[in-house]
Amino acid sequence: MDIVVLVKQVPDTESLVQIAGDGVSIKKDDIKWIMNPYDELAVEEALRIKEAKGGTVTVLSVGAQKAQETIRTALAMGADKGLLVNDPAAEGGDALATARILAAAVKNLPFDLIIAGQRAVDEDNYQVGAAVAEFLGIPHVSLVSKAELLEGRIRCQRAVEGGSVTVEAPLPALFTTQRGLNEPRYASLPGIMKAKKKPLEVKTVAALGLDPARVGAAGRKVVVKALRLPPERKAVRMIAGETPAAIAAELVRVLHEEARLI
Amino acid sequence: MQREQLEFDVLFVGAGPANLAGAIHLKKLAQQNGREIEVAVIEKAESIGAHSLSGAVLDPRALRELLPDFRERDCPIEETDLRDAVFYLTAGGQFRLPYVPPYMHNEGCFIISLSKFCAWLGSIAEELGVNVFPGFAGVEALYDESGRRVIGVRTGDKGINKEGKPKSNFEPGVDLLAKVTVFGEGPKGSLIREVGNKLGIFTGRMPQVFETAIKEVIEIPASNPFLNAPFTVVHTFGYPLGLNTRGGGFLYRMKANRVSLGLVVGLDYEDALLEPYQEFLRFKKHPLIADIIGGGKVLQQGAKTLAAGGWYTLPQLAVDGAVFVGDSASMLNVQRLKGIHTAMKSGMLAAETILAAVTKDDVRASVLDDYRVRLEGSWIQGELYAARNFGQALSRKGVAKFIALGAQFVSGGRGFVDPMKISDDADSLKPGRGAPPPPVQDLDGQLYLDKLTGVYLSGTKHEEDQPCHLVIPDANLCVTRCWETFRSPCTRFCPGQVYEMDTTDEGLPRLKLNPSNCLHCKTCEIKDPFKNIIWTCPEGGGGPKYSIV
Ligand SMILES: Cc1cc2nc3c(=O)[nH]c(=O)nc-3n(C[C@H](O)[C@H](O)[C@H](O)COP(=O)(O)OP(=O)(O)OC[C@H]3O[C@@H](n4cnc5c(N)ncnc54)[C@H](O)[C@@H]3O)c2cc1C
Ligand SMILES: Cc1cc2nc3c(=O)[nH]c(=O)nc-3n(C[C@H](O)[C@H](O)[C@H](O)COP(=O)(O)OP(=O)(O)OC[C@H]3O[C@@H](n4cnc5c(N)ncnc54)[C@H](O)[C@@H]3O)c2cc1C
Repeated sequence: MDIVVLVKQVPDTESLVQIAGDGVSIKKDDIKWIMNPYDELAVEEALRIKEAKGGTVTVLSVGAQKAQETIRTALAMGADKGLLVNDPAAEGGDALATARILAAAVKNLPFDLIIAGQRAVDEDNYQVGAAVAEFLGIPHVSLVSKAELLEGRIRCQRAVEGGSVTVEAPLPALFTTQRGLNEPRYASLPGIMKAKKKPLEVKTVAALGLDPARVGAAGRKVVVKALRLPPERKAVRMIAGETPAAIAAELVRVLHEEARLI
Repeated sequence: MQREQLEFDVLFVGAGPANLAGAIHLKKLAQQNGREIEVAVIEKAESIGAHSLSGAVLDPRALRELLPDFRERDCPIEETDLRDAVFYLTAGGQFRLPYVPPYMHNEGCFIISLSKFCAWLGSIAEELGVNVFPGFAGVEALYDESGRRVIGVRTGDKGINKEGKPKSNFEPGVDLLAKVTVFGEGPKGSLIREVGNKLGIFTGRMPQVFETAIKEVIEIPASNPFLNAPFTVVHTFGYPLGLNTRGGGFLYRMKANRVSLGLVVGLDYEDALLEPYQEFLRFKKHPLIADIIGGGKVLQQGAKTLAAGGWYTLPQLAVDGAVFVGDSASMLNVQRLKGIHTAMKSGMLAAETILAAVTKDDVRASVLDDYRVRLEGSWIQGELYAARNFGQALSRKGVAKFIALGAQFVSGGRGFVDPMKISDDADSLKPGRGAPPPPVQDLDGQLYLDKLTGVYLSGTKHEEDQPCHLVIPDANLCVTRCWETFRSPCTRFCPGQVYEMDTTDEGLPRLKLNPSNCLHCKTCEIKDPFKNIIWTCPEGGGGPKYSIV
């Protein structure tokens, strides 16, 4: 079973996020970069499948030189090799432009299964996974909370309003992760040492046979007009009371009369 | 349990300026001598620099010796134009000292953010081939069969739940073995405490004493006159602490319309009802400061302690297989309010000794003691010895402090009594049963923050489902003697609101812990009057995520 995992390096949402002077991007100087948390779930799931069925796990990312750190983290967790597409032409792309690059890169790799995060916590697009599958012409299942491999097929559980559905797809296929799928492992110290010696290839857009005009900022269809920070949260109001019943009654009253939510 | 072992020649525990400088110097020396040497650094923060918080005015002396080309290597410097002003503050006014004592002169120094500086040093160490491991806490020192020689450090297990049981992602800690282990854990290290107890490195010295500081980086409007003021480095004393509590404020100009602002409080304070965080807010509301930061917004907040004992509290610097550097070994110069340059230098001197010892394959204490000899021949000795009684004088009440300081000034640090006595911070509290002074009002969540907003802006995060890393051996003491005598000072001295008094379902008082808020400053372990709080490292990677403080 050859598995490709799509990982994105994103700003840590706990770090200092400020809007840059251009009004459409964020200041990059003081932020910390991490692996998108949903991609950690994807790496973990790939490793578990590999441990059960054998095969390889390849980690693929589009990003700047710095994104190598994120690939190394996945290698330290146990993935076998990494591929980074780092090219100024790839910069500034939207979900579709980025998916085009990822799909082109995957085409050159052996794969039975692709796992991606449901969304990256920086731009929250929920699109890249599905778009990669479309470009490759393979089935895709989103927001998976349980995955099971059958002979030549994958069975996935996904949460829906009021319950869950189980769907099956023939391999090769792509699925995206939902919280609860697993608990990602830590990169161990010996793992980090080993990761330093694992192969990590860096490629350009041209090397993938792509037209630079269709990717990155040039290939962008979505234009960011402005960025705004979410409104400051109002101070929390604690509801006090003698008994849980009294507190609940007061809560209902506040929600009904003041917040007018129920 | 069988644990994996990894072997290195030298292991540095903690990635502060002391150990990073030590590791870089060691690698460079080894290269110059054509020697291969395997060096590792572990750090409990999730990334290098994320637990580093300082002023900071950097005296570049050690940096120049370590990396003469630091400017070309894009060392992150905030400000090079340092012009000092010292103010005495009263409740509503200020008095600028016409004369700045020479040890407070900062021309030729730089303003830096220690988090950025450490991240930078970390990347240089990696370039030189040092194995840098952020996210790993050292939780236990390892000894040989004799129990006297340090042979390395065990890292903490990860993936243990609140009840102490392994979770599905359990990852056991590993044993990192080294010929020499360098402890540079900063103030009040949790491993050096154990090593010290076992091997007696603090015996016969004056007790280690500390100060605690709350600090912020504030973005001020570009129109703010301070950005063009005749001074860029402000130090204050007097209000709000008065002359009976040691400490003072600082405010430094940084790049990009930012200022660094902090209040340092000596942990030998006596008033059980004092709350350093409230004093910090009072300091910010003083007109001198409020004017400078007016219209500003806090970008990051944090807290940390500093080792303030100086020369007479230096521990034994070497044992079989290990040495101690930086704040962990009391290298800070209290007189100059600076410990980065001395920390770096101590790490570098240790590196010189270690290379020779590892080459000879003899790491006994008698050989590693060469580090102390080097230290005594270096400029660290010059600085620390001249300041040997300075902190003690600052701890004097009222004007007595100025008389003691004056006497030291004219006698090269000797003063009237040499050495002046130092007492343990845990012993200084006087019983206090009244109500604490009313807290500072009008917190706006932008410039004036409550503790929890501050914790939020420190980026602090811990895995919630893990055992509590704050060990309280006698929980009953908290609600009996400690409450009766001191009104639970932990609820005040902790800047992160980790400690709260609560009532049980039966209506009895109970100490409630919020260990996830912990800023890793260790004030609690230092100041608890009953020594009933033991700070241990939580799961590696947890804690603040400082990037600009
Ligand atoms: C508010 C404030 C202002 C200051 N201002 C100045 C100034 O203006 N100029 C100046 O020169 N100095 C200043 N100092 C002092 C200076 O910051 C310290 O002296 C210096 O940082 C000490 O360096 P260190 O390497 O010994 O320790 P630290 O910088 O404390 O670094 C120790 C590191 O070890 C890590 N660690 C600890 N225990 C473990 C463990 N068991 N396992 C893994 N990692 C561990 C910690 O997370 C930390 O990153 C100031 C300090 C404070 C708090
Ligand atoms: C990082 C972090 C630290 C925290 N630290 C503390 C702490 O130190 N002390 C403390 O008391 N709590 C703390 N909390 C909050 C506490 O964890 C939750 O209130 C509690 O766990 C909810 O339990 P539940 O099972 O009832 O809620 P769930 O069933 O998980 O919640 C369902 C929904 O109920 C509502 N809800 C639940 N609890 C509350 C509440 N308290 N007020 C208003 N609406 C609520 C929310 O809409 C929530 O989505 C913390 C939360 C986080 C994320």
